[in-house]
Amino acid sequence: MPISLSIPLTISLAKSLNRQLAALVILFALVGTACTRGNGDIEVELPGGKKTKLALKETLRVPATSEPPSLDWIKSSDTASAEITSNLMEGLTQYDLTDKELGLKPALALKWEATDSGRKWKFTLREGVLWSDGVPFTAQHVADAFKHLLTRETAASYAYSLFGLKNAQAYNQGKVPWEEVGVKITAPSEITFELDKPMSFFPYLLSHHATFPVRLDVIKKAGDRWTEPENIVTLGPYVLKAWQHDKIVFLERNEKYYDAKPAIKNIVFYMIQEIGTQINLFDSGKLDAVHTLPSVELRKLRTRKEHREVMRLGTAYYGFNVTKPPLDNVLVRRAISMAIDRQQVVQMLAGGQVPLTSWVPTGMFGYEAERGLSFNPDKARELLKQAGFADPSKVPKIEIRFNTNEDHARIAENIQAQLKKNLGIEIELKNEEWKVFLNTLKIDPPQMFRFGWQGDFPDPDNFLNLMVSHSDNNHTKWKNPRFDELIAKGAGTLDREERKKIYSEAQKILVEEDVPVVPLYIGVSHLLVSERTENYPVNAMSIFSFKATRLKQ
Amino acid sequence: MIGMVLGWGLVALGLIGIILDLGGEFLLGGIPPEFWWVFALWGLSAAGFAVVRGQMFVFVMKRLLEAGFVIFVIATLTFLLLRFLPGGPFDAEKALPPDIKANIEAKYGLNKPIAEQYLSYLGSLARGDLGESYKYIGRPVANIISETLPISFQLGIYSLLLAFFIGIPLGVFAASKHNSLLDNGLMIFAISGVALPSFIVGPLLVMVFSFGVPFSAMQGLLPPALWESPIYYILPVLTLGLRPAAIIARMTRSSMLDVIQADFVRTAKAKGVAEQVVLYKHVLKNSLIPVLTISGPLVAGVLSGSFIIEIVFGIPGMGKHLVQSVSNRDYPLILGMTLVFSAMLVIANLIVDLLYTVVDPRIKLG
Repeated sequence: MPISLSIPLTISLAKSLNRQLAALVILFALVGTACTRGNGDIEVELPGGKKTKLALKETLRVPATSEPPSLDWIKSSDTASAEITSNLMEGLTQYDLTDKELGLKPALALKWEATDSGRKWKFTLREGVLWSDGVPFTAQHVADAFKHLLTRETAASYAYSLFGLKNAQAYNQGKVPWEEVGVKITAPSEITFELDKPMSFFPYLLSHHATFPVRLDVIKKAGDRWTEPENIVTLGPYVLKAWQHDKIVFLERNEKYYDAKPAIKNIVFYMIQEIGTQINLFDSGKLDAVHTLPSVELRKLRTRKEHREVMRLGTAYYGFNVTKPPLDNVLVRRAISMAIDRQQVVQMLAGGQVPLTSWVPTGMFGYEAERGLSFNPDKARELLKQAGFADPSKVPKIEIRFNTNEDHARIAENIQAQLKKNLGIEIELKNEEWKVFLNTLKIDPPQMFRFGWQGDFPDPDNFLNLMVSHSDNNHTKWKNPRFDELIAKGAGTLDREERKKIYSEAQKILVEEDVPVVPLYIGVSHLLVSERTENYPVNAMSIFSFKATRLKQ
Repeated sequence: MIGMVLGWGLVALGLIGIILDLGGEFLLGGIPPEFWWVFALWGLSAAGFAVVRGQMFVFVMKRLLEAGFVIFVIATLTFLLLRFLPGGPFDAEKALPPDIKANIEAKYGLNKPIAEQYLSYLGSLARGDLGESYKYIGRPVANIISETLPISFQLGIYSLLLAFFIGIPLGVFAASKHNSLLDNGLMIFAISGVALPSFIVGPLLVMVFSFGVPFSAMQGLLPPALWESPIYYILPVLTLGLRPAAIIARMTRSSMLDVIQADFVRTAKAKGVAEQVVLYKHVLKNSLIPVLTISGPLVAGVLSGSFIIEIVFGIPGMGKHLVQSVSNRDYPLILGMTLVFSAMLVIANLIVDLLYTVVDPRIKLG
């Protein structure tokens, strides 16, 4: 509180109230005055309690929505951790973020080729790369990472992503020794992976943090604490200097980085859960970006000059439990899919989402604009009649269940109204807490449910694969052998044109013929990015790698 | 006697905390957590000493044994309730294949029968081991508590000081000017303080003091969030302290009004004792019992950090774990948080019981 303001206030208070109270007010006023101070440099605490000052002009300040659950890239499976590890580490391949279809470009591997029609993949590694402790990077570190990821005792969530490797699953279950798994170092800087069956998208898996190389000697020495700043060894553009749990993570430029050194010297991640608080800090110049924006405030925030938006590689859909009447009747499912105007849902959300009738999202390889059942209420009513429901009021009550969330509730209400208007059927809404909802989907999926899919990599397989019969993510109880066969065939086909044809047929079965799901829209990421920055990473995969970002002076 | 020691101990604790913050490391940030533990130990040993000298030793021992039992029951109930809660710690949007999930559950012993899990939990609890968090891989629950609790404590102690230093004088003042305009004004203020939820007060204060709405001169006066140095403490402490201050003010006032009509007050006044002395020495002291009663849970609640305030101001305290651990189904963390919270509640209530004897010597413990 400025002293000029507090003195008259205090005097007037002293006159009217008693003295003790006035003394208290003076005390607070003094503390307040003493505390007012210009800011600029950022102070962070290093391990051991020493403090250091970072110059604002060479420091990027970004939010993290939570404490990263783990900076062990082999074990972590969440976005907060990935935002940090994607600056600390690199994989054999990396996304070309300038490419619209998000293709791959070399990282730790200089080149790669498929032999045996996609059953074997040979990667030639970059030489002269150093870890942050000066140890040279070798093929052994890649093999170690694969072994560590697949070892049962590591208990890594993403171990399954490598189950396509020969004997990988058997090794994970402890049935075969490591030597029988399809990972071979074939030359000092060459590693070859042998797969069970051909997998055209295999190189994408090596851009994921779970497969990044790792130093087993470091993990062995420091145990679970190996990710603390004093122990961790990395080879990406930045190194971890401080990690004050629940508060900040501080990264500094890695002077040993093999590629062009990043332009920004320091990055400080602030762990702030509440988006409103992040926006407040952004507005008062204490943060350089906000990575997600609250949907209810989008109308206002989208008009700001710092606003950026990008289509995400993630879709929202409604699933049917195809064993529960009346949704065991394919005609009813098709009718419902046709009676929902996606455009209306998206307009109601007003967040720039893109309506979707196909399963493969817009812009990705394999996307077909005309695929899916488009909005046609007349045809929908016709289908319902064919299904034996000439009188729509005779249709048994259908329940839509979703996890508790404002947006999900708005969508469900919108769809309830649309189905009432366009088909005349009654829908009941029910919401559940997130983990309860997940449990419900697992043990007894409701008639209709909301769900979404955030792509791991931009390949149709990653999206269509979740609807195969044995998928743990297929909550619809729908099984179609032809669909399964097509997905397996698509994965094993290297020729792009041929793959496109296969996925086209698979999508037709999924969203036009059998319709166990109703695709709704593609999500959009909204960000606020300070004008102090240049080339801030805004991309469909939400990869926040800052090696190409600059600060304007 | 013992209450005196305890009372002064608590006050000294708070004051020393402030001096430390304003002293050596002026404006440079928080107090090293060790300090808090040193002071807490000091307070406890001082209290212990006083207890042995007085005749309350048996009472305190009995209460501590009861407390141990209460905490054991809470641990058991929480443990069992968690297992009946639908949805497990490793259910995620992307469902894990059964093999992988089995590996993870095996790592944490979740594949064993519940009775066995319970016994091994009790075993490690007895050794003082709270286990490792499931969500924050490899991070011991004890570390999470020791890293976040001191910050919640810091926030809580400042807010409590504010609450008592503002609440009690305001209550006294309002009671002494009963039914005057000032009394009514203060009580309207106090009722709004009780009624307004902190998720409204917090952002309102931020709007005024950080963004200068509606007085643009106040723009940038105080930072809207974070917990870096004393200037960052002001808004969250105000937000968190306002409600208890209002509760205490109202409680003090109504209790004072009861006492003010008592015979001994009239006697004191008739004897010609000064108005101020009557008010503070006779009336206030005898009005503190109801205030003390509500202070126990109030203190525990405030000290363990308010979830909403920590979220609104981005404070790295324990409050958010208290809530998030449940949505994450992070069993060890939930159990750890529950135990810390119940221990604080039990201790706060014990201290309040001891303080009763100070304000009213007629109360006998035991």
